[in-house]
Amino acid sequence: MKQRAQNIFVALCLSLCFTLLPLTLKSGEVTSSSPDLKGRETVTMTQEFKEKYPLKRVHAKLSLECLFCHDGQGNNPEAFKAVREKTCLECHGSKEKIAQRLDFIGKPNPHNSIHDGTRLSCDECHYEHKASINMCAECHEKEIATNMWMRKTP
Amino acid sequence: MADITRRNFVKLGALSAGMVALGESSLGASVLDQKGVKYDQEYDVVVIGSGFAGLAATITAAEKGLKVCMIEKMGRFGGNSIINGGLFAVVNSPKQKAEGVQDSIELYLKDMLKAGLNMNHTDNLKVIAARSADALKLTEKCGAKYYEKLSHLGGHSIPRTYLTSTASGAGIVQPMLGYAEKLSNVTLKNRTKFDDFIADDSGRIVGVVIRENYKFDMKALDDHAENKTGETKYIKARKGVILASGGFCRDTFLRNMQDPSIPLECDTTNQPGATGEVIMKALELGAVPVQMSWIQWGPWASPDEKGFGTASNFNINATFRYGITVDTKTGKRFMNELADRRVRSLAMFNVIGQDQNYPINICDQAAVDKIIPDLTAKALASGVVKKFNTLDELAAAYKMPAAELKKTVEAYNGYVTAKKDTEFGKPVHGVEGVQINKPPFYGTRGVPKLHYTMGGLKINDKAQIISTKTKKPIPGLFSAGGVNGGIHGASRLGSCSIPDCLVFGMVAGENI
Repeated sequence: MKQRAQNIFVALCLSLCFTLLPLTLKSGEVTSSSPDLKGRETVTMTQEFKEKYPLKRVHAKLSLECLFCHDGQGNNPEAFKAVREKTCLECHGSKEKIAQRLDFIGKPNPHNSIHDGTRLSCDECHYEHKASINMCAECHEKEIATNMWMRKTP
Repeated sequence: MADITRRNFVKLGALSAGMVALGESSLGASVLDQKGVKYDQEYDVVVIGSGFAGLAATITAAEKGLKVCMIEKMGRFGGNSIINGGLFAVVNSPKQKAEGVQDSIELYLKDMLKAGLNMNHTDNLKVIAARSADALKLTEKCGAKYYEKLSHLGGHSIPRTYLTSTASGAGIVQPMLGYAEKLSNVTLKNRTKFDDFIADDSGRIVGVVIRENYKFDMKALDDHAENKTGETKYIKARKGVILASGGFCRDTFLRNMQDPSIPLECDTTNQPGATGEVIMKALELGAVPVQMSWIQWGPWASPDEKGFGTASNFNINATFRYGITVDTKTGKRFMNELADRRVRSLAMFNVIGQDQNYPINICDQAAVDKIIPDLTAKALASGVVKKFNTLDELAAAYKMPAAELKKTVEAYNGYVTAKKDTEFGKPVHGVEGVQINKPPFYGTRGVPKLHYTMGGLKINDKAQIISTKTKKPIPGLFSAGGVNGGIHGASRLGSCSIPDCLVFGMVAGENI
């Protein structure tokens, strides 16, 4: 599982290369593969899939591939299952670390709130392939709508 | 992966001997026969739900040495308890002793029966009263902390309410979750939905069918009916199953079936998962339904925010106890602000009428000085509670006749001095002499919201669920908390749900 952290490094380097040497990617069929090509499954990434399962900006910048998160789930994106927080935390560290890093949000830090502490699953609010939500707004509609507590969920 | 079909089911009790082979579409199917079930996991106890009741049951059963699995449908552990206001009535408590408050089980029952219109099942109530101090100890053992002062809530003739230090039920849930996580014989599973009971030949509940990796769909109109996510697993519960799945305020269908007068789109203080599928499964098994159509409104909410929000706890602790509620049109009071929830809600709806004339809850700085500063800060910051230098400004902001409001306040202040409210009978002797005269003044618009389903399953004093068919406990099945009904009768007093959940959670854990 440590591999993922190494992969991030590789991905960062790759994305840097792409920035320095701009390549014109033709739309249409592009056979892409997971950064660790060790006899694993590969996913044929089509424009259709790219549009259907867009990545969050930061993740797209890192040129993350499907199998980066959905490894061991075959090679058909339609059949992929949502990953759970364990996968997120392989790069993002621990929930305690995330809470600490986002301490600047102030007291209602959603990553360490009086209701849930650090126990919330990432995907209660953060979605990768669709717009994220703010679960807190279920009750604290005002505070969220006015950005009093925090900004839009990335 | 059990080799099982819908054709295998048992009928409980007397019918179990003469099993009837019913077709797949039969409405009689309510439970799977364990014959042919290949279990994926085995525990002594399965607890369904992770709020106060589920946690108390889990910890109590685990500390007896039993292997316990607590499942939660939602991604968040804690159910409504985690967003609850953290108010916990304890009879004959250490804080009552410290504050010189005389309480008794009889007085508690008297208060509860008055609000409950004598519809309460007193056999259950007595257990709550007698064991609430034990439940308090259990939470403190897990690490829960409480505000130093007792609160005095509507309908209670004396102060008996503890408030968690975070002013949220999470102040109890989080420590209990932390405690449970450390017990090696406890397994906690979120995103795990209960689908079915498994019974043996005698009708005893010996397991459950669940779905793991269940992702509740916040956008679905009816998650229970529409959501097909998750993988089915068959779980053995050697000693039995404890239902702690809460009430059904968010179940539009069931709510509407029970009380069509409740608007479909009506706001509630409950979390999205507070639906009735577990109650319904237990009823299919033959559990006695009790007072299902009594659904309680919480009178302290605000029309200017969703759910319980920030105004509710401000009103519970400040305006209702130390202040007044007035009709915006007349500037006059119209109710005993410390009456029970049902009485207050009815009075408020009467004022709100068809033109959304929301009444205004008012208190002054002296009241605010009495409560946790956090509650006021949050309510002011969200903008639902507003601060005014004078009563004139307050009246102007809510377009209220100022002269009438001032007359109302003067009269109320007189009642506080006299320790008797001759107009509406508010127990002003318990407001510690706080009048409405110290600026700034605080105002907030009020509306009742759906808060608590009074009805549910009937349990005995061992938290065993009573069957309609046998009039005896259903073997292997226990329940605690909001899933039960009839304990509080027509209306539950504030801060009496936490002791109900915790006590019967404990009792279920002790008896399973």
